[in-house]
Amino acid sequence: MKQKVLKRSKKAALVLMVPTATFLMAGCGQEEAVQTAAFETVDQCAAYYNPEQCKADLGQALAMHTQVAPKYTDKAACETDFGVGQCETPAQAATAAGTEQVPQQAQASSGGFFMPMMMGFLAGQMLNRSGSQLKQPVQAQPLYKSRDDRSTFRTATNTPVAKGVGPTYIKPSSVQPKPAGMVNRGGFGAQAQKRSSSASSFGG
Amino acid sequence: MKKVACDERPGWRSYAESVGFEFHTFDGEAYWDETAYYQFNLRQIEQDIEDPTEELHQMALGLVDDVIRDEEKLKQLAIPEQFWDFVADSWRNKAPSLYGRLDLVYDGTGPAKLLELNYDTPTSLFETGFFQWVWLEDQIMRGKVPQGADQFNSLQDQLEAAFANLPLANPLYFASVANSVEDKGTVMYLMDIAKQAGVDSRFIELEQLGEASGQLVDLEGFAIGGLFKLYPWEFMVQEDFASVILSSQTQWLEPGWKMLLSNKGILPLLWQKHQGHPNLLESHFEQPSQSFAAGWVRKPLFSREGANVELVTLSGEKISEPGPYADSPFIRQKLQPLPKFGDSYTMIGSWVVGNSAAGIGIREDNSLITKDSSRFLPHIILD
Repeated sequence: MKQKVLKRSKKAALVLMVPTATFLMAGCGQEEAVQTAAFETVDQCAAYYNPEQCKADLGQALAMHTQVAPKYTDKAACETDFGVGQCETPAQAATAAGTEQVPQQAQASSGGFFMPMMMGFLAGQMLNRSGSQLKQPVQAQPLYKSRDDRSTFRTATNTPVAKGVGPTYIKPSSVQPKPAGMVNRGGFGAQAQKRSSSASSFGG
Repeated sequence: MKKVACDERPGWRSYAESVGFEFHTFDGEAYWDETAYYQFNLRQIEQDIEDPTEELHQMALGLVDDVIRDEEKLKQLAIPEQFWDFVADSWRNKAPSLYGRLDLVYDGTGPAKLLELNYDTPTSLFETGFFQWVWLEDQIMRGKVPQGADQFNSLQDQLEAAFANLPLANPLYFASVANSVEDKGTVMYLMDIAKQAGVDSRFIELEQLGEASGQLVDLEGFAIGGLFKLYPWEFMVQEDFASVILSSQTQWLEPGWKMLLSNKGILPLLWQKHQGHPNLLESHFEQPSQSFAAGWVRKPLFSREGANVELVTLSGEKISEPGPYADSPFIRQKLQPLPKFGDSYTMIGSWVVGNSAAGIGIREDNSLITKDSSRFLPHIILD
């Protein structure tokens, strides 16, 4: 017998909006490790993935470098953690990245602080070489190496992610970048406030 | 297409509240209304709504390339110049999009006409995808709706597939303004579906979003890699954190290029490119001191829920809806009055997930202008 094709969803279930279900869900939700990869150069990355995407990911990692790298007021303290000759100022980082332009935030607070040099980058949203998208829910970001363990790539928050260049498996939440510096809040929502006397929703 | 009176399910209000649908009644007036439903046949759904929805969607996408290369069009759409590259890059990088809703005028015969695209912050999602689905199952079970009745509503299935398959950041944050119950309800529903698709979804009030060193951050200071924001782009680009949009490495849902399609200026651009298309209404950018003729509608580029829309009927009656969006340029659109069923004017909201039509939600109002408080009625398909 021919199955009638329905125009409606096969199921419509809720897991979070129903209080009891939320309770049941609280115990599960084991986060799965996903495949990503660590590279030092675009060429290394291009052996695995779409070269354009590799370039974009390196660009994103460089842009984040001064924002997320651990900061030291003292060069010697930085070198204790990351090795002699392995630390730089934001201005040096910008020159090395070929941008010449120190990000505003770094400039404002660069009363001469030091940070480790970027040693590689973690690949983010990846396309494979044929250009189709792989599900890769990890943010592209800079990687570092500590003084006492030169083979391991680590995130700015000191999470080891890979032994050397190439694919690796990690849990996305363990590599969520955390920018250093003052947090400002309340920068969104002013228009809603301004118009709220006559609107109860900002969807439509 | 017809309207059929129907008994309400006993106790539906307390059921609604138990599943988080707290805005089923609005200032004492029904918002969810199941005292009747609309009935379509399959041909009406597939030929008159589903196919044109996907065609109009493709026509809209086809305009993005034209607009990002054309300064004059970007200016016509009032996109701030410092965001031109941001919008263009988001399109060229194929930044994924989740959903959108087209509002259509349709009375059961003839081509449906596009009123506008809600492509940035569409709501009435929970009502469509979940609550009317449950209504149909319940009413079939109770024998109030014929066995074999179906519904054009694959919204939740398609959203779940989109969350599972799109290359989205994980965790994915969801934000809406602090004191809108309706917006938070919509966001909670999306988070629920995302969770079922395996996405680590986290809520943050829009006003609580932070910035550190140019990155958008959560309450604990972690960088926000991906953000679904139920908040209009045209607001965000003029607020204090506008510069953070440009400096933060955040994946946005909806993406920056939706700024072009949620803009009512897209309607005259569609008309210019596809003049005479059966699903389009004649539209133009408003000229300075243009007179307001009978049979035309005036809409701001940026507005939602019918706010600041005015129209003059063919008989010369002027109808207008006040609102907080009078500060943008306007367009003029030829009036295609909504069909009347009983005392109500009826509009069809047709959903798109990815590039597929995904179902409809029906809104009714006592006025020709559909708005925030317009009632939501369920529908069925029956041949």
